[in-house]
Amino acid sequence: MTGTTTPAVPPVVTGLGVLSACGRGLAPLAEATVHGKAAFGPVPMSRFDVSGRRVRRAALLPDAPPLAEAVLTALGDACRQAAGSAPDRAADDSGTPLLLALHSDLGTARTAARIAEGARREWGIPGVTRVYTGACVAAGTAVADAAALISSGRARRVVVAAGHLVGAGVFAAFDAGRALARDGEVRPFSAGRTGTLLGDAAVAVVLESPAEAGRRGAPVLARLRGWGRSGDAHHVCRPVPDGNGLARAIDAALRRGGIAPEQVGYVNANATGSPLADQAEANALHRVFGGYTDRLPVSSTKGVHGHALEASALLELAVTIAALQSGTLPVNAGWTGQDEDCRLDLVLDQPRPTRPDFALTVNSAFGGANTALLVAS
Amino acid sequence: MSSQSIILPTELTLLAKAHWPGPTDDGLPPIAGFTVSTFNPLVAEAAERCLSAYYGPAPGPGPTRTALLLTSGSGDLATAAAIAAASADTGRRMPPLLFFQSNPNAVLGHIAARWQLTGPVVATAPATPAAPGEVPADALDLAELLLDDGDADQVLLIAAEQAPEPHQDRAVALLLTSGN
Repeated sequence: MTGTTTPAVPPVVTGLGVLSACGRGLAPLAEATVHGKAAFGPVPMSRFDVSGRRVRRAALLPDAPPLAEAVLTALGDACRQAAGSAPDRAADDSGTPLLLALHSDLGTARTAARIAEGARREWGIPGVTRVYTGACVAAGTAVADAAALISSGRARRVVVAAGHLVGAGVFAAFDAGRALARDGEVRPFSAGRTGTLLGDAAVAVVLESPAEAGRRGAPVLARLRGWGRSGDAHHVCRPVPDGNGLARAIDAALRRGGIAPEQVGYVNANATGSPLADQAEANALHRVFGGYTDRLPVSSTKGVHGHALEASALLELAVTIAALQSGTLPVNAGWTGQDEDCRLDLVLDQPRPTRPDFALTVNSAFGGANTALLVAS
Repeated sequence: MSSQSIILPTELTLLAKAHWPGPTDDGLPPIAGFTVSTFNPLVAEAAERCLSAYYGPAPGPGPTRTALLLTSGSGDLATAAAIAAASADTGRRMPPLLFFQSNPNAVLGHIAARWQLTGPVVATAPATPAAPGEVPADALDLAELLLDDGDADQVLLIAAEQAPEPHQDRAVALLLTSGN
């Protein structure tokens, strides 16, 4: 039983800015993910010293700026796109919430303050509403909350931004926790997968009500038709093996979207290359989609851009929007062989031309947190 | 305590409330698997007291669609400092337990598993921190949004602030639902 209902006014995406190891903008990210071009390389000494680590690779932005600057660049790209070709009808952002997703560490407050100052100065956004620090679902939760704000009429327009630049502390903690891929590649859902690799990302989206977008003649890049959030109630860091928690988040997103599972034409999966978590995610997809799972195209694109932690859900939303726009589904890079416990219709070897009406992007995190976002073109 | 003067929006109903420390408290109970920092025991103890006040002993009535919403301006300062120190010296061993402890979702997973709370798991930092022992208005807004949006029937809101000295740590937990 849930209380989710189909929102009367699902929000639209009118602006999207992204910096990733694939480059600046959606086009290089789409190109890399569609063709499965992994962006991993050795972490250079100029970033930080990995000589004492077991694993020494990540997907990094070349010449990465400071985190606040990277996020503000993405935010600026998103806001410019949302302004469209009629800046004289630009939105009044003096009341626009800015939901931010960042890793929680000693620099979080300082970074958030710099982003707030830049957003205020450049775009008139009054500041950062709050910072989401909930690991790999931080940005997905922020998008769901933004959608709830808009669909309930609390806000006409919300900016969601997220950033993660691979740093020495998190890298060392993941290395010590043996979460990083020993073979230096991310192999989602694949036999022989050994873990994940971290990736840089700074991403921002502008979400608004269709009426607000229409008033300004803003471009509609995608429609956020549904969203869901759930918890496993299972463990500090391991997912519930049967995928029940993630399945409930997906159910909620489909219910809000008012669609049947068989209407979903693509899933951008969370799969990180983790042996346990990928299996739990495959189980979740089977729980929701049943026999249709065999015909439901799925790929995790972390084998290309790496795991961007707090920014991952927004980065993968960008990939999903690109797939809907282009009618080409990205490859599940890094896959080397069938894992019988992860039997899915993975997009392998080459991009798959198809133009789904609906796509899902899902994320899971420590603490058993799950989010699902249902996107339509 | 200042936490007893919380003013709730009319859309929220308070089911239970607890805080750390109480008048006779002296040191937080440890949680297995969490080291280095008082932050996670602080969050867990405030939650435990609040849920126990409403349900009695764990695990309570069985699965409930209760969201966990953590708000903290300080975050887990001691864990963050330990990770920064260990990573600054590549010859120093990084304690493996800090891997999962490096984000605030981990202790929320501990609470959710113990009390069978299946709602959203959300960790935030407010733009305007409240005084230690108080609940930021932003967190109440978010609790109300989560309930209204329908993914949860209740919200366990925990506001926790870690101080440089553990005896100055403060947390308050509220179990909230919709309506009057």
